Amino acid sequence: MAETETTPAGGPPAGSHGDRRDFLKWLSAGFLGLWAVGGAGALAAYLSPPKEAESSDNVVRVGRLADLHVGVAQLIRHGVKPFFVLRTDATNVVAMSAVCTHMRCILNYDRERKGLVCPCHDGRFDLNGNPLSGPPRRALPTYEVSVRAGEVFVRV
Amino acid sequence: MSASPKPGSKPAVPLSERLWRALAWLEQRMNVTELFSFLTHFGVIYTPIDTQRPLREVLREIGSKPVVSYARWPHILGLLTAILFALQAISGTLLAFYYHPTATMAYESTRTIVRDVPLGWLVHQVHAWGSSLLMAVVFVRIVRLFWDGLYRAPREVLWFSGVMLGYLVIQIDFTGRLLPWDIHSYWAAIRGLEVISTVPVVGPVLAFVVGGKTLSQDSLPRFYVLHSLVLPGLYLAMVWVTFASMRRVGLSRTDEAPPATTTFRKHLADLAIIMLLLFAGLVTLATLFPFHFHGAADPYATPKGVQPPWYMLALYAVDQVPVPGWIPGLLALIVCLAIPFLPAILKRTGGRFDERRVRIAGVAVFAVWVVLSVIGVIVERS
Repeated sequence: MAETETTPAGGPPAGSHGDRRDFLKWLSAGFLGLWAVGGAGALAAYLSPPKEAESSDNVVRVGRLADLHVGVAQLIRHGVKPFFVLRTDATNVVAMSAVCTHMRCILNYDRERKGLVCPCHDGRFDLNGNPLSGPPRRALPTYEVSVRAGEVFVRV
Repeated sequence: MSASPKPGSKPAVPLSERLWRALAWLEQRMNVTELFSFLTHFGVIYTPIDTQRPLREVLREIGSKPVVSYARWPHILGLLTAILFALQAISGTLLAFYYHPTATMAYESTRTIVRDVPLGWLVHQVHAWGSSLLMAVVFVRIVRLFWDGLYRAPREVLWFSGVMLGYLVIQIDFTGRLLPWDIHSYWAAIRGLEVISTVPVVGPVLAFVVGGKTLSQDSLPRFYVLHSLVLPGLYLAMVWVTFASMRRVGLSRTDEAPPATTTFRKHLADLAIIMLLLFAGLVTLATLFPFHFHGAADPYATPKGVQPPWYMLALYAVDQVPVPGWIPGLLALIVCLAIPFLPAILKRTGGRFDERRVRIAGVAVFAVWVVLSVIGVIVERS
């Protein structure tokens, strides 16, 4: 509504009082503006999505190395960032995001072709996370894996 | 907000004129005035408008027409019921963004709002205080309608919708109190349900709606939907009826109709001022006198000092009388049903009635109610 801030008509006509009226007009507009800014700020603070506890300890304990089979990728259901861990040989484990870079579908592991396949648009990735075919263009993020005392940890 | 022309950028067409042109463009494609007339249903504009004419003309006309000021006591009460409801709708929507209406998550999500979300405590407290203020305004309005005889023909509908607003606001408050699922809200709701279930007809219907005679985990989603969707919808409908009736019959008797002293522009400015003052008052109350938020509800441990909501204390007191529960329940039901149909009852008693005697009867009923409520508190304490 454009009319809400109009000062009431019927006051003294312009003249020596005109300046004062203009000043009051600007003053009230200014105060309303301050209210609007404050309200918008409060609203934004309230509505801003809660911060996830990132940065500090987002090292995920996946499990024991002995439980992972060579050549079988395992999906780890971790928050909004699920990922695959895959034991490539006796000592090496790789981890990569399980979220397709195209439309955020969750990828499946294709055992025969040793790759990841997206159920939505048949996008394919190799085990380094590089896109092979289909709509995805960006590579999957890979995560750092460390094995300590037989336990596998992934830094997401 | 302000559509003042910007100097410098384009000297030919001021911004306001461009907005009017956009409006004209839209007007050729839809009836904007009809859409705008929607606002008249909720008291923002209380003069009737002609939806066949272009909006610009209508705005110019209602902007300069002298109207009765409804931003003055006591006419303002009806406006306040609408404005406070709007504020409640806003703060309630904000709360609903974080609230989970399940027994396992209700308490935790409320605690997240009041403890972790920036300014969440303020939104929560403003909502709680707004509800108290809304109830107060709705009840003062009923008292004023009664006192000034605004239930008499042709204002029966106005009276009916006013009383219905009162009943609805009680129900909205009652269903809303449970939602935090803290130890007090849980046990207050249980006792409240116990009190209501003594009322014939209403009790079983309520049990049906709420999903069982006793409160369980499954009641919470139902309370939530009733509180945030069904009852506010009915409230809005009653606000609509109120203003529709008011445009037809007016708020004052013809012999003492107030002069048309203001213009619609002034009225809108008043409206903005009232809203700001209300909001400021709510924030002040919420900051200085916050409501308590207790520990999580435990269905197997009743705390001490839980009271039914204040509007149930009278019925609670009557329930302590050693007679079968349905007798006081039936009495309460008859009184509650009689109030909205007061004009019809008065008509049956025979033509002209003495307004002073009706007033005295009303004061007597009110006094009985207050005394019973006080007895309810005393019974609670002992």
